[in-house]
Amino acid sequence: MEIIIAVAVIGLIALFLITQYNRLIRLNITVDEAWAQIEVQLKRRADLIPNLVETVKGYAAHEQSTFDAVVTARAKATSATGVADTAAADGMLTQALRGLLAVAEAYPDLKASSNFLSLQEELATTENKVAFSRQFYNDNVRSLNTAVKTIPSKFFTGFAKVGEREFYEVEDPQDRNAPSVKF
Amino acid sequence: MNFRTMQAANRRKTFGLLIGMGILMWFVVYAALTYFGGSTAGIVPIAVGIALISVWGSYYGSDKLVLTMTGAKLIQESDNPKLFGLIHEVIIASGMPMPKVAIVVDSAPNAFATGRNPEHALIAFTTGILDAMDRDQLQGVIAHEMAHVANRDTLVSAVAATTAGAIAIVSDMLTRMMFFGGRRDSNGNGNPIALVFSLIILILAPLAAIMLKSAISRKRESLADATAVSFTRNPAGLRSALEVLASDSTVVQQRSTAVAHIWIESPLDSKSVSKLFSTHPPIQERIAVLRSMESLG
Repeated sequence: MEIIIAVAVIGLIALFLITQYNRLIRLNITVDEAWAQIEVQLKRRADLIPNLVETVKGYAAHEQSTFDAVVTARAKATSATGVADTAAADGMLTQALRGLLAVAEAYPDLKASSNFLSLQEELATTENKVAFSRQFYNDNVRSLNTAVKTIPSKFFTGFAKVGEREFYEVEDPQDRNAPSVKF
Repeated sequence: MNFRTMQAANRRKTFGLLIGMGILMWFVVYAALTYFGGSTAGIVPIAVGIALISVWGSYYGSDKLVLTMTGAKLIQESDNPKLFGLIHEVIIASGMPMPKVAIVVDSAPNAFATGRNPEHALIAFTTGILDAMDRDQLQGVIAHEMAHVANRDTLVSAVAATTAGAIAIVSDMLTRMMFFGGRRDSNGNGNPIALVFSLIILILAPLAAIMLKSAISRKRESLADATAVSFTRNPAGLRSALEVLASDSTVVQQRSTAVAHIWIESPLDSKSVSKLFSTHPPIQERIAVLRSMESLG
């Protein structure tokens, strides 16, 4: 009888340890996946930009400074690594794109061209995807960081080699509606 | 109230209502045993069996069944890239797998979601809703539908329908027995109050079951609104979408009222007897709740 109880207690403890360990590992993997999603969406947006710039150039050739700002911001965004760098470059590129679309507002022919309209829709959906992948990433980082800081999962962080992760913070007050694309 | 507390509250209430269904079922069994004696005990498993088979068949194949019942047609990304772009946005925000997408040719604006789990989800839109709504509004509607998928509402309503169905079958069988044979249990151990009480339960139970089923459906709608906000963090989009639905008086041409509860706006609203039997909360109430979430920022 005593043996059965002892085995059951040990079994329950083992089960508890395994659950705690697995939970941390799982949360950490979800953050990795969410991060990969951000990168995919940022890449999508970067791929969209040359085409957009070319289209706007066709109608508004002398807005060179705006184009330069977009191209520089894009170059920075594609070469950035790490959470903080990527976030900063992402914010700059969003700003630059907003400038480019503001320029486009002044050219009725451009605004009416079907090529521009479809690019604009694609940019709108991509901006939303970037924003949502950021949000999804930050939500998952929040769950992970809560688990890392609270008891009992706190005690397993060393064993599972899982620590707090960095939030993806874009410094842009208008960020939620960026850039405002109407159609 | 923010969306997190709203979600928690709605989940709790659904749980309570499902428990209520279980208690009602238990009352019916008790009433049957008091009124007819032990010989009727066999009816209960039969009724539950019939209800299970009929409901779970439709639950398992819900994505395909609903397609035929509503006349929806599956579409591919190339058929409507803009809609797929919006759906992808919500997919990324919610971290869920991509559902199948279908279109119902109908000028009334409406939408629905079904499927037994997120991997077999199907969301459908009428051509009317795609024409009537702008980007943010459609995003809100898609988030509401994906929220139904995430909250497994097909499963919840299948459970509710099974219990309500079983209760209806039991009390139907027993009421028939009353007319044809009267009480089989002639030992005369009956306490008259208990007998009258059982009779009342048997007669009222199906009605109560339908009311509970509708209440569960209403809670799931409120929950889906709250979950949709947790996906998009933009209550204004869904709120203005609901305003469009509220101001529009056209109703989806139903092929079957059996699927009325799955639409975002109830196609039966105008015919609804009272709030107790409607499958959706009043649309103005839903708008007011979303507006209060907006003011929280």
